[in-house]
Amino acid sequence: MEEWKFQPSRDLGLTATERLGSLRRESGLIESIGHRIWWAWIGCYLKLFHRMAVRGRENLPAEAPFVLVANHSSHLDVFALASPCPGRLRDRIFPIAAGDAFFEKVPVAAFAAYALNALPLWRRHCDPRDLEEMRRRLTEEPCAYVLFPEGTRSRTGEMGPFRRGIGALVASTLVPVIPCWLEGAFAAFPPQNRFPRPTKLTLRVGVPLRFPATPNDKAGWTEVASQVEAAVRALRPLGPPAGSPPAPSP
Amino acid sequence: MIQDRLWGASHAFDHPVAKWITIGVGVALVVALIIIGILSAAGVVKDPFRKELWKRTLAWAVLAPLMIVPVLLGAAWTILGVTLLSLACYSEFARATGLFREKLVSAVVGIGILAVNFAALDHWYGFFVALFPLTVIVIAATAILPDSPKGYLQRVGLGVLAFMLFGSSLAHVSYMANDKDYRPIILMLLLGVQLNDVFAFCTGKTLGHRKIVPHTSPGKTLGGHLGALVLTTPLIAVIAHYVFPDTDLDKPGWLILLGVIVSVSGQMGDLMISSIKRDIGIKDMGTAIPGHGGVLDRVNSVLLAAPAVFHYVGYFVGFGLDQPPRIMTGP
Repeated sequence: MEEWKFQPSRDLGLTATERLGSLRRESGLIESIGHRIWWAWIGCYLKLFHRMAVRGRENLPAEAPFVLVANHSSHLDVFALASPCPGRLRDRIFPIAAGDAFFEKVPVAAFAAYALNALPLWRRHCDPRDLEEMRRRLTEEPCAYVLFPEGTRSRTGEMGPFRRGIGALVASTLVPVIPCWLEGAFAAFPPQNRFPRPTKLTLRVGVPLRFPATPNDKAGWTEVASQVEAAVRALRPLGPPAGSPPAPSP
Repeated sequence: MIQDRLWGASHAFDHPVAKWITIGVGVALVVALIIIGILSAAGVVKDPFRKELWKRTLAWAVLAPLMIVPVLLGAAWTILGVTLLSLACYSEFARATGLFREKLVSAVVGIGILAVNFAALDHWYGFFVALFPLTVIVIAATAILPDSPKGYLQRVGLGVLAFMLFGSSLAHVSYMANDKDYRPIILMLLLGVQLNDVFAFCTGKTLGHRKIVPHTSPGKTLGGHLGALVLTTPLIAVIAHYVFPDTDLDKPGWLILLGVIVSVSGQMGDLMISSIKRDIGIKDMGTAIPGHGGVLDRVNSVLLAAPAVFHYVGYFVGFGLDQPPRIMTGP
């Protein structure tokens, strides 16, 4: 007779607080309920307050693993990006959040874990092993990440250059990267504002990119980052984005 | 009368056994801390054993009140404490076995734990007993819903075992709280199984040579088990004589058998959790209690002892037979 295969939780052996900020955190029933409630409420909010529209929804994968990337200009971005994903994947879709902003204080970390299902990325002292852990989990579990390769919110509404960390997650794998462009988020909730305005949001979902032949090294990562950046830029509608200040003249 | 039993903290020490167990545990902890303090200061015990000793003893200094105080405060607090303990145990078990990924099964077991403790609080024996088969039915049925037969037997098997151990079994402690004099009974059970562990540890360290189940728990020795049996049995027999005076149980032979049941079922519960950990391949069930591991690593010995003692005592004496049944759902 074959033995039962036990798969203990990845975060077994961590204390309750360590778990919150761990890349190995896995959701139980309570967190699962928290995610459902939070994301249902976010879905309503985006639809009613921002009249959010999604173009190219057919490009969103129905199954993990995948990585969603987009331009980053407001705190609304992560909601707008993760919200259209299938609800049954909710516990396995991890928005990647800045560790220094979301995981240093326990109450904030608890919110990030129990409501958002976010995982931390430490910007200043990022351990390369963290990226390896994330890369492994992506295909092993499999799970999905929502991340912004610019590394921070744009202060002008213009998209900044992509960092190569995205390449470390997907180079030499079949994991699809889905480029997205989010329109209207900077006008709705620029970094200097305290509250969002009811501006319309439009999410354009692009065709998935895969990088099975790209080497998993620094050159390959840079290559991935530039291809993804170009794909995201290509989704940007022509003309200045609605509500953004006019582009500075050269 | 019901209110007094549920919330009557002023009756905490009505029964002399409740008083003496509480005083005894308090004194033992203080003495232990003083002795360890002296040994540490004199340099008799050295690191890392000294640190381990402190960690374990201090954990006991927190755990003992956590176990005793709700029992003293009232039956409602006791049942609330057991319910939270059950949920914590299930959470650890589910995370260790991977059952936590089956959210539906987890939800059913969680609701089952709440329901069986409600039945105990309500003093509704019929429902209390019915909830075991009913919960098993619901687990077996909901586990069909994901439509993935691969692993069906495992998730149902784990769910049923989890509900049996942490729902049904632990809720027997809750149900005991329906007795007018529940405090000495529950305190005797808790003191018995925990001291049984301590006796096994101490006699095993000093007298133990022959390992009994080296593949399950390499530290356990025959000496430890026999030592615990020899020490726990008379202790329980004597306490039970004062807890159940002038009842059918109050005969030397039956009292000694009660002691044997507490000691053996306590040690089997301990070995059961060891077997589960070995099977999964982990060292501790959790991290909740410094020096001990998870909650389950500490309450393992109550899991099998609670229903065994309940039904043995129930056979002779019964629980709360003079108390009104169905205090909330009744007519």
